[in-house]
Amino acid sequence: MATSTYLSNPKVQVGAAIGSITDITDQVSAATLTVTKEALEDTAFGSTSRTMTAGLFSNTLTLTVYASYASSESYSVLSALLGTKCTIKVNPNDASDSATNPGFILTDTYLAAIPVINASLGELSTWEIEFQGGVYSVDTTA
Amino acid sequence: MIYRIVSKRLGEVGAEWHPSSSRDLMFCLAAGLVVPAEESTQKPKKSSTIKKAPKE
Repeated sequence: MATSTYLSNPKVQVGAAIGSITDITDQVSAATLTVTKEALEDTAFGSTSRTMTAGLFSNTLTLTVYASYASSESYSVLSALLGTKCTIKVNPNDASDSATNPGFILTDTYLAAIPVINASLGELSTWEIEFQGGVYSVDTTA
Repeated sequence: MIYRIVSKRLGEVGAEWHPSSSRDLMFCLAAGLVVPAEESTQKPKKSSTIKKAPKE
């Protein structure tokens, strides 16, 4: 039986490009990378069932991030990326890239919004951040 | 210009960092991850001591 306990120790890095991605793992409590290949209908006359063919990739990544306004932490890092095409990489665990710990990368993904304040009395402030689009790749070599 | 890493989030603190693009540089400066090398190695100037006037 194959199981994965997700998000027990994944690694999350964001940056302007792959050469400057910075580790924000200790401020993230959830990450979901959804890789979608759009379905285009190609049913033709003579068909008895609808059929689909592959279209463009349409990828999104959502993060739940603890709000921190300290130097080099979530606000500082993410606000520098607001309104830009950036790079994000998520690994299942903290080890080097490998076949069993692939680095899932979105390049040129767009960060449209940051809820700079999400304050509730008596609660630790978190943000839901969505990265839209981008080119998906998987790195399995260290 | 050489930059130095000042946040462990990017790598070893104190290590030299070379931006691969202007986007990298703008991001890392804005996020407070690197500083220009001159700035990080500058030491605060010693305060000048007041010399006592010689006794007559």
